[in-house]
Amino acid sequence: MLDEPFRILIAALICWLNFMTVDLIFKLPHSGGVSGATAIAQEVEKGGGKLNGGYMMGNLVSSPDASAGTLLASCGVYCAGLPGGLFAALLVYIGNRICYDPGYAGTTGCISATFIVYGAVQSGWFAASDFIAGMVIAILTIQGLSSVHASRLIARLWKVRCRFIPEDKP
Amino acid sequence: MIAVYLCTAIAVYAAIRVIAERNTMRKLPFLNVVSFAVTGIIAFLLPHPITILAAAAYFVGSTLESNAIASTWAGGIRKP
Amino acid sequence: MNDIVMIASGILILAGMTAAIFNRDPFDKLISLSVLIAGVFPFIVERGFLDIAIATALIAPLSTIFTLMVCRRVQV
Repeated sequence: MLDEPFRILIAALICWLNFMTVDLIFKLPHSGGVSGATAIAQEVEKGGGKLNGGYMMGNLVSSPDASAGTLLASCGVYCAGLPGGLFAALLVYIGNRICYDPGYAGTTGCISATFIVYGAVQSGWFAASDFIAGMVIAILTIQGLSSVHASRLIARLWKVRCRFIPEDKP
Repeated sequence: MIAVYLCTAIAVYAAIRVIAERNTMRKLPFLNVVSFAVTGIIAFLLPHPITILAAAAYFVGSTLESNAIASTWAGGIRKP
Repeated sequence: MNDIVMIASGILILAGMTAAIFNRDPFDKLISLSVLIAGVFPFIVERGFLDIAIATALIAPLSTIFTLMVCRRVQV
């Protein structure tokens, strides 16, 4: 095993890639799901950011998406092993239905994160507590540091994703 | 042991950013960071199977609160 | 370990309370109260009262929603 700060940094990178990939596949930066997400996107654009990045930040705020799925799957594996992660996926689905959302992104992200965290713990390189701290760092880089730079980064990633699947332009 | 202190430091930092931000809608992403960090702290304090239910209930409740505040600020739920 | 986490939760509660006193806009007041409620949860879970934590987590957003009915913005 490596030292704990290095493990937390690598876990943060894995969590960031996981939730960003799932959210980009399920078209979160395309439009706002509820009217509150649209309002947050317009305020972010008024402050100097991009509109597509603002839509994704508003969607992350107003319903539990793949980021919440990753965090709760890490908590479930830390508390109760593999059944805990799958139970967390059920809870994320119920929470998505409460917040007027279809709930595909959250459930898919939670199940994939459950298997990633369980495999990493079984391989002996990581502990499950590293992934909880890693997910908190990963959400800090998106929502917590600077809304202008984060929205520009998400808009650039969304353009790359639209180049590979060209039938739905932003 | 570093992981708990990291979550705690991020929670306090995000709470300070919430209070220091002037625009009402741009406060909500920092509030989301606070709820992520507190969910992690809840899981670290008591590793027990029912803790998953408590953490998920807290996170969904906080998200529903942010959703209601943002939707009411934007003028209510729009009828299609 | 627990002492530093509890001190930080106290800081969250005091900061949320102070900001809720000095804010003017009602939406800013509700966001500051949400920070205060986030600071309460580690104190409940640290004693082991998980059922009270679940009940509080489900009741607090409902009270916020009922408060929001009062300060709904007038359609322009």
